[in-house]
Amino acid sequence: MSTADTDARLKRLGLYAVLVAMAGFYLLPILTGLFTSITSPESYTGQSPFLPPLEPLIAETGSLSLQPWGNAFDGLARGLANSFILVIPATILSGLFGSMAAYGLTNVDWRGQVGIYALFVAGIFIPYQAVLVPLTQFWYNVVPLQSLFAPFAAFPLVQAYHWKLVALIVTHTAYGIPICTLLFRAHYKKLSDEMIEAARLDGASVSTIYRRIVLPLSIPMFAVVFIYQFTQIWNDLLFALTIVQFGDASVVTQELVGIGVSQAGTNFPLRMAAALLAALPTLVVYVLFGDKFAEGVTA
Amino acid sequence: MAELTLDSVTKVFNEGGSDEVVAVDELSMGIEDGEFLVLVGPSGCGKSTTLRMIAGLETVTDGEIRLGERTINDSSPADRDIAMVFQSYALYPHMTVRENMRFGLEESTDMPDEEISATVEETAAMMGIEELLDRKPSELSGGQQQRVALGRAIVRDPSAFLMDEPLSNLDAKLRATMRTELQRLQADLGVTTVYVTHDQTEAMTMGDRIAVLDDGVLQQVGTPLECYHTPNNRFVAGFIGEPSMNFFPTTRSDGTLSAEQFSYPLPAAIASALGDATEVTLGVRPEDVELRPADGDRDDHEFDCVVDVVEPVGESNNVYLRFADAPEGETFIATISGMRNVAAGDRVVATIPPSAIHLFDDRTGEALKNRSLDDVDGVTPT
Repeated sequence: MSTADTDARLKRLGLYAVLVAMAGFYLLPILTGLFTSITSPESYTGQSPFLPPLEPLIAETGSLSLQPWGNAFDGLARGLANSFILVIPATILSGLFGSMAAYGLTNVDWRGQVGIYALFVAGIFIPYQAVLVPLTQFWYNVVPLQSLFAPFAAFPLVQAYHWKLVALIVTHTAYGIPICTLLFRAHYKKLSDEMIEAARLDGASVSTIYRRIVLPLSIPMFAVVFIYQFTQIWNDLLFALTIVQFGDASVVTQELVGIGVSQAGTNFPLRMAAALLAALPTLVVYVLFGDKFAEGVTA
Repeated sequence: MAELTLDSVTKVFNEGGSDEVVAVDELSMGIEDGEFLVLVGPSGCGKSTTLRMIAGLETVTDGEIRLGERTINDSSPADRDIAMVFQSYALYPHMTVRENMRFGLEESTDMPDEEISATVEETAAMMGIEELLDRKPSELSGGQQQRVALGRAIVRDPSAFLMDEPLSNLDAKLRATMRTELQRLQADLGVTTVYVTHDQTEAMTMGDRIAVLDDGVLQQVGTPLECYHTPNNRFVAGFIGEPSMNFFPTTRSDGTLSAEQFSYPLPAAIASALGDATEVTLGVRPEDVELRPADGDRDDHEFDCVVDVVEPVGESNNVYLRFADAPEGETFIATISGMRNVAAGDRVVATIPPSAIHLFDDRTGEALKNRSLDDVDGVTPT
């Protein structure tokens, strides 16, 4: 074997060593969480959290139990449902509107579009904290959404308190449009002008070009935007606390705050199971849109 | 099908601004029904802008564009009944070839579905792309994409075709084939066509007529041979033809042109045609320059030269010549038969026959005298 070969092998070995170390580094907290979530609350203290439970959850039987997960699910069920009701429409709407706005600002030519685009960019930099009070005022005093929504409560599966989720959907959609517009615009700038012109010569209107040409070519970008917005909105606590405040319409992040906390102390296994459970949907979204996401970010 | 008329068409970008650019200036020409007109010029000369104005992709600042009897200045691109082939082909990447070809018919006509399908199949068969119909553009070679782009334009059955350098992305061999094929196709369909290119070979070989544009101004419209043999001005003379015409700046006194390296006596008939122009550029096409070995006597139109470089093209040699007493680097070109043997450093005698010279006024660039066409068929060594 020549020295060059040996060098190459050593390099490869080093590469794998680094990769394994990195995988361990990133997976350890998750492993810790997983093991904690199946540990008996009584035996939680006094053992290394990243090792399998020393004392099996159900004492004396030697078998594990997923009971904290069951409890976590029971505790979070309502929050999870509310979160899904909120996140799915808000994600789709902000993505769709962002895409439309980006198309109008990038591929359609009209006067003053730079000024409008500047407003969109400015919108990205408005901090959440700055709008909390006006937002509460808006949804509770300016727009009587609660009474406007009341008639819809007669529909099956719709509850009167859902008006708060509608308010959240609108808020998150509005807040998400600027960043979505920015992301889509970067993508649309790379679309061939000649292709859009060819479609115009082929007789397609501005809206037809969007529907039949631009939208189908945006799918990878939608994956990027959906993952981003889904995670963002799912994990939001601030707007939910401001608009939902408390009660039946609480979303999962709000429910998570209180779970496993009692006067007797903190039930860490339950909290850990709940935290993992609450993070699961974002993980699923990554897996579902992952390959399109890769296409989108490398496009 | 219809004739296309441009009447004093002008395009100004950033009008009224400090960076105002006149891209096309008072362009007037008529393209007859079924004619193949090639719009040619160097990059930035306004040829693409002109095409885009005809297509409706750019607004017209001033003047009028008519298709048949209809003024189309303010019609939307969709209403102009025009199809365009782009340099990048501009196919819709997410659609199959069939969908690409259907798109225009679906959007611009009320044709029922079966009729669209039949029309697409028929056009695809004519273009020889039937077996590609269910493929995506990314699965096609450059030549196939080109063919699909053409098919997409043809299937619309428009009043006019606009083509913006459609062959420039193909390799040389395929480009030559497609040139011929495109001409045949256009002749068969008989659709008025405006074809934009910067390649003078395409212009010469493809057009019924060619329009030469420079800096937004129309220099000449004529058949390829008219532009080649009787250019209106120095620009056209230099742009059309490969290798380019040789130019020598000269000063005229009576019947003699004096250049730095030589003086050239003019026959009386030519001298009288020059009027009062004193600064005159002498032009001669490389193939009109004759070479013979350096022996015997020289007459007034023969000059001692040294061969600088020889470029063999196969059927001909491009010989770069230097006047015997000229400094390095100042050369002119003669094209001679590929079967004649010349080598760098050879001393030769170059003849510039008076019948083949062009003379241009330096002040205006306009042609004062073009080569005599009496002997076009029989230019033989004298």
